[in-house]
Amino acid sequence: MAEGGAGEPPPPPRAPLERLVLKNAAEHHYLRVSLEFPDGGVRLNAAHFKQLVVSALKELHGEVGAALPVDVLTYDEKTLSAILRVSSSGFVKLWSALTLLGSYQNRKCAFRVVQTSPFLLALSGNSRELVLD
Amino acid sequence: MSAPLRRLRETPRHLLVCERSHVRHERSRHAARVRGHAYNCRVSFLIPECGVLPEPLKSVTTDMGEYYLVKNLPLHELVAQEFISAFVKTGSCYALSYNTRIDQDNTAALLPTDCHSPLKHIGKLILSVDKDTYEELGLQGRPSRYSGKKIMRYIITIDLTDSAFHSDSKKYKRVLWALRDKKPLEFDFLLSWHHTGADGSTLMSYFSKHQIQAHQPKITFSTLRNLQCPVLCSNELQGKPEESCSAQELFEWLGAVFSNVELDNKSFSFVSTYCCPEPSTMMDQAYLCTITGFILPEKIIQLLDQLCAYFDDPKLAQWVTLTVHGFADSPVSWRENEHGFQKGGENLYNFVVFRSLDYWLQMAVGANDDCPP
Repeated sequence: MAEGGAGEPPPPPRAPLERLVLKNAAEHHYLRVSLEFPDGGVRLNAAHFKQLVVSALKELHGEVGAALPVDVLTYDEKTLSAILRVSSSGFVKLWSALTLLGSYQNRKCAFRVVQTSPFLLALSGNSRELVLD
Repeated sequence: MSAPLRRLRETPRHLLVCERSHVRHERSRHAARVRGHAYNCRVSFLIPECGVLPEPLKSVTTDMGEYYLVKNLPLHELVAQEFISAFVKTGSCYALSYNTRIDQDNTAALLPTDCHSPLKHIGKLILSVDKDTYEELGLQGRPSRYSGKKIMRYIITIDLTDSAFHSDSKKYKRVLWALRDKKPLEFDFLLSWHHTGADGSTLMSYFSKHQIQAHQPKITFSTLRNLQCPVLCSNELQGKPEESCSAQELFEWLGAVFSNVELDNKSFSFVSTYCCPEPSTMMDQAYLCTITGFILPEKIIQLLDQLCAYFDDPKLAQWVTLTVHGFADSPVSWRENEHGFQKGGENLYNFVVFRSLDYWLQMAVGANDDCPP
């Protein structure tokens, strides 16, 4: 196939029938997070988990932050890991709020942000988790 | 709005390119797109209304090719004339350093000789190294496009099949000296070799002095029951209200399916408000297959061909999808386009093949990437 290389004339047009380039068009951003308790033994259901995320937002960004629409798309009670969806304009707010959260019901905890992407599909294939041997 | 507040609302750059064409169209470039994306860590396909895979599709799926992991391979082994003439010049040889993170470590990759464009895309070794390594190596390179004002990362490209790169040339001696004596670099490499008629195990015997393991791609199958699927119309890439969903909506929905997200939430649900895009239909079952490993574009083309052949017989499915995830830490995404890892390192593409063999191709990249071809 003719592919353009450096310093060569552009290949003859072999355009597809239709091509759309969407730049920064994602409405949402996605984060794969897990919640860690150093002492362990804390059980949370999905609603409590969401409540914790909202309270983290409220703590750092006030009522405006708490009003940010965040969805808990998946949640695993055993590993306390979740996939969160947030509108793109609230992505930085959510990430910062999660990072600065330090406790849940007077017990120390921390959110680990494992992977983030503007594409939910990207979260289902993380090459950094490819473990051989 | 003040500047700091505005910055709080900004997100890293990202691109989604959507294309529409027909598999048999003479100007269709679907094969070139697949071939141009060299390093793939996961391939998944979804077939609605399918319970059992047809035999040809199944055999392609289970034969995605062996790949090898070589531990602590000195980089100069990949520029040895013996290696170049045995593998790089005779077939498509792919190598990518394993467990190296491109935002902090040195990374190396070997791009294969592309027999379809012998002049333009030829066996190249690409190194993405930090400033200190670059200065110690003493090889010519260029600053990384994504390293900012203060350059901390360099890209070195070595053309292995260049006519001036033979064992007596100054260039060759310099490269060998740099990689063997000046700054010996070692990586764990993922390796694979595609050559019609030859067995990949030749690689195994060639590197038998090193610690080498053969790996088979991991395959998982699952049947999803009662799946809500968006309605698609092949001519409407951007969708039509009340009639069909857009390529973007499909892309998100597919991500939701792969991550086992609930698709039937209510808009007032506290935990999640995500629902399947409308209009949608309920499907009794759908077949999802995921293959993980170091997967060559040649094998993906075979899989894509078989997915197109799925529609040779009448089928209930209106469309099938094929999703390919690239390596987040590879130094290139498509062809020789530089790739970096800013927030996620995503480089992936997805085909939707319709019953009429019209297809949509979606290519997505993150912040440190060129626009896909």
